[in-house]
Amino acid sequence: MKKAINVTMPSSAEGMSRVDGRLKVTGAAKYSAEYTMPGLTYGVLVGSTITKGHILTIDTKAAGRAPGVLAVVTHLNSPKVPGDQPEKGKPVPDKGALKVFYDNKIYYNGQPIAVVVADTFERALYAASLVKAQYKAEKHITNLPDNRDKGFAPRGEGVYKRGAADAWQSAPFKVEQEYIVPTVTHNPMELHAIIARWDADDKLTVWDKTQGVNDTRDDLARLFKIPAANVLVHSQFVGGAFGSALRTWPHEVAAVLAAKVVSKPVKVVLSRADMFTSVGYRPFTWQKIGIGATADGKLTGITHEAAGQTSSYENFTEGPVGVSQNMYACPNVNTKYNLVSLDIATPTWMRGPGEATGAFALESALDELSYAVNIDPLELRIKNYAEVEPSSGKPFSTKFLKEAYQLGADHIGWGDRKQVPRSVKQDGWYVGYGMGSGMFGAYRSGATVRAKMMADGTLILQTAVSDIGPGTGTAMTIIAAEQMNIPADKIRFELGDSSLPPAPTQGGSATVASVGPAVVKACTDLKEKFQKLIGNGGEDHPDYAKVLKEHNLPSLEVTSSSDGGNGMEKYAMNSWSVHFVKVLVNAATGVVKIDKVACVSDCGKVISPKTARSQVIGGAIGGIGMALMEESIIDHRYGRYINNNFADYHVPVNADIPQIDALFINKPDPIINVMGAKGMAEIALIGMAAAVANAVYNACGKRVRDLPITPDKVMG
Amino acid sequence: MKSDKPTPETTDVKDSSRRDFLKQSTLLTAVAVTPVVAIKAANDHMDEHLAAVFEKMPLKMEVNGKTVNLSVEPRSTLLDILREQLDLTGTKKGCDHGQCGACTVHVDGHRINSCLTLGIMMSGKKITTIEGLAKGDQLHPMQEAFIKHDGFQCGYCTPGQIMSAVSCIREGHAGSEHEIREYMSGNVCRCGAYPNIVNAILEVKDGGFAV
Amino acid sequence: MKQFQYVRPATIQAALDVISKPGSKIIAGGTNLVDLMKRGVTAPDKIVDINHLPLKGISEPIGNVMTVSIGALALNSEVAENSRIKELFPLLSMALNAGASPQLRNMATVGGNMMQRTRCGYFYDTTMPCNKRQPGTGCGAMEGVNRMHAIFGASDQCIAVHPSDMCVALAALDATVEVAGKKGKRYIHFADFHRLPGEKPQIDNNLAPDELIVRVIIPTNNFSRNSYYLKIRDRQSYAFALVSVAAALEIDNGIIKNARLAMGGVAHKPWRLFEAEQFLVGKTASEENFAKAAGLAMKGAVGHGGNSFKLKLAPATITEALKHAAGLV
Repeated sequence: MKKAINVTMPSSAEGMSRVDGRLKVTGAAKYSAEYTMPGLTYGVLVGSTITKGHILTIDTKAAGRAPGVLAVVTHLNSPKVPGDQPEKGKPVPDKGALKVFYDNKIYYNGQPIAVVVADTFERALYAASLVKAQYKAEKHITNLPDNRDKGFAPRGEGVYKRGAADAWQSAPFKVEQEYIVPTVTHNPMELHAIIARWDADDKLTVWDKTQGVNDTRDDLARLFKIPAANVLVHSQFVGGAFGSALRTWPHEVAAVLAAKVVSKPVKVVLSRADMFTSVGYRPFTWQKIGIGATADGKLTGITHEAAGQTSSYENFTEGPVGVSQNMYACPNVNTKYNLVSLDIATPTWMRGPGEATGAFALESALDELSYAVNIDPLELRIKNYAEVEPSSGKPFSTKFLKEAYQLGADHIGWGDRKQVPRSVKQDGWYVGYGMGSGMFGAYRSGATVRAKMMADGTLILQTAVSDIGPGTGTAMTIIAAEQMNIPADKIRFELGDSSLPPAPTQGGSATVASVGPAVVKACTDLKEKFQKLIGNGGEDHPDYAKVLKEHNLPSLEVTSSSDGGNGMEKYAMNSWSVHFVKVLVNAATGVVKIDKVACVSDCGKVISPKTARSQVIGGAIGGIGMALMEESIIDHRYGRYINNNFADYHVPVNADIPQIDALFINKPDPIINVMGAKGMAEIALIGMAAAVANAVYNACGKRVRDLPITPDKVMG
Repeated sequence: MKSDKPTPETTDVKDSSRRDFLKQSTLLTAVAVTPVVAIKAANDHMDEHLAAVFEKMPLKMEVNGKTVNLSVEPRSTLLDILREQLDLTGTKKGCDHGQCGACTVHVDGHRINSCLTLGIMMSGKKITTIEGLAKGDQLHPMQEAFIKHDGFQCGYCTPGQIMSAVSCIREGHAGSEHEIREYMSGNVCRCGAYPNIVNAILEVKDGGFAV
Repeated sequence: MKQFQYVRPATIQAALDVISKPGSKIIAGGTNLVDLMKRGVTAPDKIVDINHLPLKGISEPIGNVMTVSIGALALNSEVAENSRIKELFPLLSMALNAGASPQLRNMATVGGNMMQRTRCGYFYDTTMPCNKRQPGTGCGAMEGVNRMHAIFGASDQCIAVHPSDMCVALAALDATVEVAGKKGKRYIHFADFHRLPGEKPQIDNNLAPDELIVRVIIPTNNFSRNSYYLKIRDRQSYAFALVSVAAALEIDNGIIKNARLAMGGVAHKPWRLFEAEQFLVGKTASEENFAKAAGLAMKGAVGHGGNSFKLKLAPATITEALKHAAGLV
């Protein structure tokens, strides 16, 4: 299917290729652990082997004596982190980020209790194995289902109601079910890594895997009480993150401390096992949904309860029940969200945070309801289509989800779907179709971009934003090329450095929507500056190099900012998606194969078709992983992960994934920003797990409500 | 078989004091030895200097067409040697346990996981990493195809994917989409670029490019 | 990883001299050993690199020698891709290709595949109890997370499974293992090579510590037209088996003349299904008979909670594998 770039379904070869593609395919792209510098040393963390309690003794003698070891830093000898110390006259908050090497308390299994620094990685790793701690263990809890009664409402905001509570109960057709999304770990391919170097007592440089160099800079400045201007954070290439690099984690602080102790640059690279305990995860969440409808499929009420896990030292909150408030037009909705504190590390946002969890429950429940009332699940969604935001009554800035439904349904061949499971067989496998829909707030914030036209006609754009993979530099280059009317290869987009003009952290699908307008603004201002130089009557897109030469200028630059914009008060702004899946199920062995996928995104204007398509496909594959195989399993007796590696924690491999069709509505949202572009990263995943679960049910009649849908849950 | 004649593999062991040390070993037929005494000395921190000399062994191999002579600890993996000693950081560490494929390189033309390969066992071998795939400025067709079909997002698994993709065709396992998927399943991509990777490989295969 | 002494013997005899010393470990492909050393599960003083020994060859059946011999150092990929192996023992080729990844198969050897340790999470985590890793500490999996674990032949000491696919096929193919020791050669029937955990789960197999695998010998057979290896796992590739089945049939006019069945992912060793094999002989190759055979195969199976689903999955997989082997799918 060949179509021009700007239409709904680009092929993998269409659109502009990534501006950093060459660096990535040649191995020249440098990630945080890959910088060399004189005197570089290696830090390896030692994790606690109990889950709750405190350290009685910690024996570092053998480690300290091991060849090449420069230091073993523990709570007993660590320099103090100034920002962690109690301030006089101020109450000590009862919760907050884990304080590294602060005292002997253990809050979770794997908590760093020491960092060993040596001259080579091998020596540091071996020496770390020689650190032996003795503990006083206390009884721990790591299991959410058994401790749901300990749930509490976060910040007293856990309850929502419109209309009558529990109205679904009196509906003629209703479903009430519980759904489980287990702990799922981001597991980007790049292990989190940092190189920390003190350039002076109050000057720190780090090469760090982070989604936000400015946030990391500010966190480190606050913790070490040095001016933010003295902290330099480099994060030019980030090997995936999906949320895991949205905050500053203990290993980063440990590296900075270690660098202080040895007065040399220290590199700390987490192990894959560390990735399960050190950089967050999607929290295990229990949910219950009651949903009711009239005989003609009109929703009468939704009740959505959720309990998500958090650590004992921080309250991590997200929005799993939000989708039930706003996805469908329903007069009566009540939701309740609780947290349960467990003796585990703090979770963090993972792609489609909250919404992905909530959408699994809501979109599964809706599917179950469609069978109860015997209406096609697509029709049921159309019957309850929300034309305005249900919770506020505000109009949507744009919403073309109905068109998306139709496009996707046509594409997958929804017409071949039978409402009765086990109706269709193909080569001995049951065939099933399922759909799931997603929504995510369209956010934007201010950003600043420096645009500098060089004498040779090269345009350099600079801003501090990170690119964790979506292709930020590529999208921004496309925007600038259009604004300036110059070829993309004359543009260099520089990012991932805290010394550049400020930009928001890359998260919440907001980068293009936030930084894009700043690029537009900077280009506009730069063109204006050229106009002034040329005087009246100049072309809108002059030969910039020629103008500079004529005026004997080496370059011309502007630094321009976009604000967060307005519109939120008048409009509800969201991106929308729908995923259609065709699966094949072997009912005897429980094996599920994804046969076909069509994802339709309504995310405003598509700036960069090639990378946008990849992002949608990537989100869908993340959703397939969540649906079919991902689960971080704790042995609750020990509070320790038992599958903390890539052999036992399964993520999809190539053999699991067919061609995935990514379709775009591609209609600009005039409210969100000047380009009309909204986020697409989160919606690419939200709703996908339910689409798979619904297809599995449609194929073989097995309804799996606790993810992942592994063969044992489907067979028989 | 009692002989203290070095087998061909010992020819790079030139250090005579080292040879003398070896003579004390009961293991006369074996070569390339890290003496237990040295390890013990090192572990006990008794003689850092001695340890530093004897913990390491000479390693001569060819990397991207160039001969490299190194002194390595037997426990150092090929991956860590490439990344930390040769600054060839294109080869990635994703799991360090043979479970992700990010560290894939070619040894004598065959793809392997460098994280589970002891460097010392690469003596005399020809290693090709991602840095050695292009001919100067001219990218390998697989690199071009990965760019064209956007076979990556974050780029971290990409070098391993490309090395594996080249092997996939060389091995004759790129006959169909289905076969490519199976034979590319040793390379995990968390960003989810799989369909694009398959398209890139198909393009190179169908284009009849020499790989 | 602890520092170790690295030696590279030039002859089998020299290798036998070295491995007889305590604390020595043989390295071939290293795909499991290096992993275990990185995790601290094993910490040898001496690594004996046997890759230079002449143990790589794959021989053909010649004249009245109706066997194929595969050297212990033949790579998994070499064996899987070997045209004679594909022709004579497609089951072995399928099983090999179902294991690990192309990269790992390019490193892993036949001998190493046989010698690989269990992938039980408790065995790998040195802070957990495990009788196999550290006798006397208990079995973490017994009352713990045991979804991947054994339903056959487990003891109260250990419910780990042997993770190999290749070995399941070799067990079904009635292979023999030739081993060399200081006293000379001896031969072990493949089905007896690996052992059940019993009271000594730390011992995986019947190879003595001072012995070396030389080659695997497979008798030729008439199964090549009706063989199938079916592996059920949590994803389509690059994952260990929940249950796998090697099925080989000799069918004449719809009647089964001979049958071989072995299962993986269910026991401490490749699990031969002798009773089911016997049942099938003389029967029609039908789904009904396959299901009956599968039922017989499950005698003595015990679930431990997390893995109890295998009591249902295993017979379903046997039936499916037989259907494939018989060409009924």
